[in-house]
Amino acid sequence: MANSPEEVAKHVKTYLKVGIALLFLTAVTVWLSYVDFGTHSRNMTIGLAVATFKTSLVVLIFMHMNHERPLIYKFMLFSMLLLGVMFTLFVFVRDDGLLLKGYEAVFGKH
Amino acid sequence: MEIPYTVTARPDTGLWNAKIGVWLFLASEVMLFGGLFSSYIFLRLGADYFWPIHELNVKMGCFNTAVLIGSSVTIVMAWAGVKMRNYKMYFWNLLITILCAFLFLSVKFFEYKAKIEHYGVVLKDGTILLGHQPEEGYRYKFNADAVTLNFKEADPAYFMRYATKAFAEHGGAHDEHGGAATPTLPIEGVKFKTEDGKVTTLATNDFLSLKAAAKEAKKDSVKLTPVEPIGFNVQLLPQRLASHSDKTLAFLDGTVVEGKMVSDKMELHVDVIDTRAAPDADKSMAWAIMKDAGWKHAFDEAREEHLKKFKESHPGDDPMKSDHYLREALRFEIHGETPAAHEANHKQGLGFFHDMPWAEHHYPTVQIEAKDIQRWSNFLPKWNTYYAIYFTITGLHGAHVLAGALVMLYFLVFNSRWFKTDPEHLANRVETGGLFWHFVDLVWIFLFPLLYLL
Repeated sequence: MANSPEEVAKHVKTYLKVGIALLFLTAVTVWLSYVDFGTHSRNMTIGLAVATFKTSLVVLIFMHMNHERPLIYKFMLFSMLLLGVMFTLFVFVRDDGLLLKGYEAVFGKH
Repeated sequence: MEIPYTVTARPDTGLWNAKIGVWLFLASEVMLFGGLFSSYIFLRLGADYFWPIHELNVKMGCFNTAVLIGSSVTIVMAWAGVKMRNYKMYFWNLLITILCAFLFLSVKFFEYKAKIEHYGVVLKDGTILLGHQPEEGYRYKFNADAVTLNFKEADPAYFMRYATKAFAEHGGAHDEHGGAATPTLPIEGVKFKTEDGKVTTLATNDFLSLKAAAKEAKKDSVKLTPVEPIGFNVQLLPQRLASHSDKTLAFLDGTVVEGKMVSDKMELHVDVIDTRAAPDADKSMAWAIMKDAGWKHAFDEAREEHLKKFKESHPGDDPMKSDHYLREALRFEIHGETPAAHEANHKQGLGFFHDMPWAEHHYPTVQIEAKDIQRWSNFLPKWNTYYAIYFTITGLHGAHVLAGALVMLYFLVFNSRWFKTDPEHLANRVETGGLFWHFVDLVWIFLFPLLYLL
């Protein structure tokens, strides 16, 4: 956490590199979305994987989460757990006739 | 009183206070947007229509992504500038960040505007025509024989705004005074006859005496017949009519006009023909509406080309089961990228920026009978759940961009003097604002692919 001027100066180049990487990955995301991978869920998975990677770059480097105090990790752990719950709620649509059709279109019959 | 722990760390947490504050706030923001992303998943799984993919302007979205990423770099540079005691580096990077925020919002404004001005028309067989309406919008042209006022809510100033000279009977949408140029009649210039033969107008004073007379006679409505033939030229969006038929128009204030519908045709400058939801693309109602057989021909050629491509890349697969193929082959863009569409477009230049707001195109204009229309609307939340979640999430995100810009502008204007007196405090402020700004960028990193690309 100690951010002495010398240390910060060293990081400046990293920030620029990360910025360029993010721009490049944006172009990659756009390009990949026009490629037909056979099923749309494959496109979804690949696209979201790239987005997740971009996000982790922002969180770790720009938001300094690669060297942060333990208390902040604890806060975010709770947030992430609840987020995980919200993002998996949809598995219950298997029991919902209205939503099932869309579910099967994305994830296939089972 | 001095506020403690703005610069030094609080011993028990190991952090200065604002940092804890902003991370707690971000944790709650994660929940807020998380809930909306979760709704997105449900709406997408439950959608009973073809979920739009690449339907928003990808170039504009891509540009905005680059703007936000660039501003994420500059805000962290501004912070580094304070830490390194380099005022120029701090000042310019913070200023560029703020400008990027407003650039982002301006682009978003044009994207929203494009959706508000773009219409979708679902035909009775499920085919969707997309396009723009002429400047005056979609209007019913109706010749009036009698006007019945309902005094409870009657508001002549509202419905008389649409009164015009009577239309020629077979005028259609293109009669001699059609369109925006249709001269409306001044309210005091239209004379009506009451049932007992008196001649009156609907100007305020006359209307009030009509109302008083009706009250005396214990009636709550009055039927008027125009002395000279008049018509009504009523715009349908925003909603001006409670109901209509071939013989009547009912306005929202309870006024009922009897007479004859002269034209209920919608004029549309078509840019996309989407036949995916029609039972048979070849028999789609669109082809009769498009009149010029060249469009069907161009559609067939484009479809064949996509089929050939699909068979080469996915031998043995059923194209009708591929969303990608269906979207490419059955959703025909008038200004599409396929050679067939290009040719049908009469060799009009299709540059890289052909889908930008400033690009001007000639679109085929068609007339659609009201009886062929299932529903129509511009691309606002009422069109489908995709646009509902699109406007909700991007609207909320836009509000965050604006808030972030204002906070950073405050730092720039009111806190810059701390650079000399209390630089570490300024650095911490910029870091706090920066953390929020990175979060805003982060939300967009997911929004862009989910709404524009996938």
